[in-house]
Amino acid sequence: MNELGKKLARIAFDERGADYLLAMREEHGNVAPSMIRKGEDAGDVRVDLPYQLVNILSNIYPWVPKGRIAVVCRRCDEKALNEIIKRNLMDRDRLILIGLACTREQVALCRCSDPVPSKVDIGEANAPVREDPLMVKLDSMSQQDRLKFWTSEFRKCNKCFGCTLNCPVCFCDDCVLEEHTFTPELGIPPSFAFHLVRSMHMSDKCIECGECERSCAGGIPLLTLRKMANRDMKRMFGYEAGDKEKVSPLLTTLEGKLLEDGEHVC
Amino acid sequence: MTEFNPTILAFCCNWCSYAGADLAGVSRLQMPPNVHVVRVMCSASVKPEYIFKSLVQGIDGVLVLGCHIGDCHYLTGNHRTAKRVPIAQKLLDDVGVDSRRVKLDWVSAAEGEKFQQVITEFVDEIKGLGPNPMRGVRL
Ligand code: SF4
Ligand code: SF4
Ligand code: FES
Repeated sequence: MNELGKKLARIAFDERGADYLLAMREEHGNVAPSMIRKGEDAGDVRVDLPYQLVNILSNIYPWVPKGRIAVVCRRCDEKALNEIIKRNLMDRDRLILIGLACTREQVALCRCSDPVPSKVDIGEANAPVREDPLMVKLDSMSQQDRLKFWTSEFRKCNKCFGCTLNCPVCFCDDCVLEEHTFTPELGIPPSFAFHLVRSMHMSDKCIECGECERSCAGGIPLLTLRKMANRDMKRMFGYEAGDKEKVSPLLTTLEGKLLEDGEHVC
Repeated sequence: MTEFNPTILAFCCNWCSYAGADLAGVSRLQMPPNVHVVRVMCSASVKPEYIFKSLVQGIDGVLVLGCHIGDCHYLTGNHRTAKRVPIAQKLLDDVGVDSRRVKLDWVSAAEGEKFQQVITEFVDEIKGLGPNPMRGVRL
């Protein structure tokens, strides 16, 4: 058990009463997400790889019917969980968040404007990055050039669905992107509509973790596209995804009352 | 050079706007022939996905018409539309498609003249914007 393993086990099990700890662990030279039981040797825990533990948690959550789960959370993970909990997909009382502050290098890679978890347990708080250079560049382009830019980017898409599968807040059971109306069964790349539809669906949920961009086989700057859309949402509705309480404007009437049909999680 | 004749889709909700379009028709109001009316149950049936798909397939302009706020047959259907369409427009701007190609308006069953006015103005606006640049885009 390394020092980090000891520290995390202590925080999770001794101090905060968890039954499980979800963290990245190194075994035989490989690092993978692990669900560590209380009393079990925590092993060699690692936090130096950006990894979407929330996604893992979403997958195993239904299979862990009892007990409290501690999970290592960066600020974006914490915000993703807020979106998930607001939609009643998880119970806040069953989760224990262990705050991980991202390194300066990671903050730079994500052009992250909000990198510090509400409680820092591991790592040191770093300053946010205020601007995404590509977004600044795109803003200054003409409309035609912007269309040209995204067209040549989207042309690289090979419809691997990595961007949706790895997104922590992409949680509908029936994905509209799998409907052949919007994504034809045959043919690569999918049409431009694929990316617009995805953009629309993430507009009130994306917490800018950057996982889609990291997953993208085509190297498309998807995080920049998300940041542009999030800026729009903030300007139009004053809404920022990841807020603990605020409900998405897409789920309320113009007066801000909750829309009646609960089926619209997304 | 032949004049640019845009192809325009107008999604009209069954309970107000489609009736408004009907009224415009039976009143024999003059209207541009570029508009294809698609009748939907409520403006909220027009998911942004359909707007995107229309534009990607080369439609020059998309109109979404519904009942006035407060008059939706499904009470708050058009509230949903009123929030979704502006987002869809912004997302289009972000990727370099002029958001003026999408327009949301409210037309009641009694507003045949408003229907005429809305579509005439929209057709003129789209004529000014020229052909949809996505028509030529091959991904
Ligand atoms: S950055 Fe990408 S993967 Fe992360 S929440 Fe937003 S859309 Fe999902
Ligand atoms: S991850 Fe990239 S290549 Fe894969 S479907 Fe998404 S945009 Fe396309
Ligand atoms: S029925 Fe007309 S907008 Fe809902």
